[in-house]
Amino acid sequence: MEQIMILNGSPRAPKSNSKRYAKIFRQYCKMDTAYFDISKSNHLSLCSEMERFSKLLLVFPLYADGIPVTLLDFLKTLEQNPPPKKPSVSVLINCGFLESGQNDVAVDMVRLFCRKNGYPFGCVLKIGSGEAILDTPFRILAIRKIKALSKGVQKGEHKAFKVSMPLSRKMFIKASTSYWIRYGQKNNVTREQMATLNIEDQ
Amino acid sequence: MKLIMSDRPLQLHLPTGDEVQWIDLSQLCIHHCVGCFGCWTKTPGKCVIRDDAVTVYPKIAQSEAVIYVSRIRYGSYDIAMKTVLERAIPVQQAFIRVLDGETHHIQRRVVPKKAVIIAYGADGEEEREIFRRLVSRNARNMNLEQYEVLFTTETQLEQTVQNEVEKWNRL
Repeated sequence: MEQIMILNGSPRAPKSNSKRYAKIFRQYCKMDTAYFDISKSNHLSLCSEMERFSKLLLVFPLYADGIPVTLLDFLKTLEQNPPPKKPSVSVLINCGFLESGQNDVAVDMVRLFCRKNGYPFGCVLKIGSGEAILDTPFRILAIRKIKALSKGVQKGEHKAFKVSMPLSRKMFIKASTSYWIRYGQKNNVTREQMATLNIEDQ
Repeated sequence: MKLIMSDRPLQLHLPTGDEVQWIDLSQLCIHHCVGCFGCWTKTPGKCVIRDDAVTVYPKIAQSEAVIYVSRIRYGSYDIAMKTVLERAIPVQQAFIRVLDGETHHIQRRVVPKKAVIIAYGADGEEEREIFRRLVSRNARNMNLEQYEVLFTTETQLEQTVQNEVEKWNRL
């Protein structure tokens, strides 16, 4: 029976937004799925697990304009330890910026890995405003696209989806600023402290 | 200050004095970013992981000229350089601004810089093009006011870096 392996490449996988996105994907996926966090110590076991799956979904955040080191490191191990039968690879990526297109370069890195190593590329969902969208009324838009991604992955299609908060940049900045101020308040850090220009007291 | 940051040892002839500093990342202990947002919301401007990275990102911020030397993997910087760039997010604030029509983080005290990115190990034009696009995106998020991407081979690497250092010396 076909199964989907979901790998979370977020550096904070157990507490990540990527994990929440993966959970939604699993809720709407009719095929069996198995979810794993990528950690520093489980690369080889994930590579050997992969032979059980016909499809692979990589879920990760944009990091410094590219794929996070957590995932990059795993892909290098996978290149050296490929499964006998290579699954098709799909991507669910999110970034904190409004523009989902800021994820394009990272997606193309995964595509390049796939092309170099003989993995068919499946579907992609690029999420903008991904740090916060699940905690806003726009959650429904993200869920709709994750459902579409799920259908596409199950059918073996090659489709690209994108979603972000339908806000102007001005409105997004206002909402984002409030979000981060609240985040700081939880740590008793003020907006002014968060906006310091100092870097390591310099 | 001018900064050379490489992911491997290099034999370079550098000018004496503190004006040019070279960091060989292969000699440092730098852990992966854990995505805790502590450098934005708990100890702004400081990473909560107190390893060698905390000596590196202030130098990146203070430099008006940088040369980054990295192997390429899948169109990305390889692990050593990517790790330090991810750990450099304390130089940004959590808050967002519009730059070149896109949303980006506000920088802290980061000197606008001229950057030369020297990449080795590229496997074909597709990989080179992805890397160029990556650096173009970095320019917005790392305050690179001018940048150039140079591709070279491992055997030509030291000479390529030395040539760029000598351009600094001539300025």
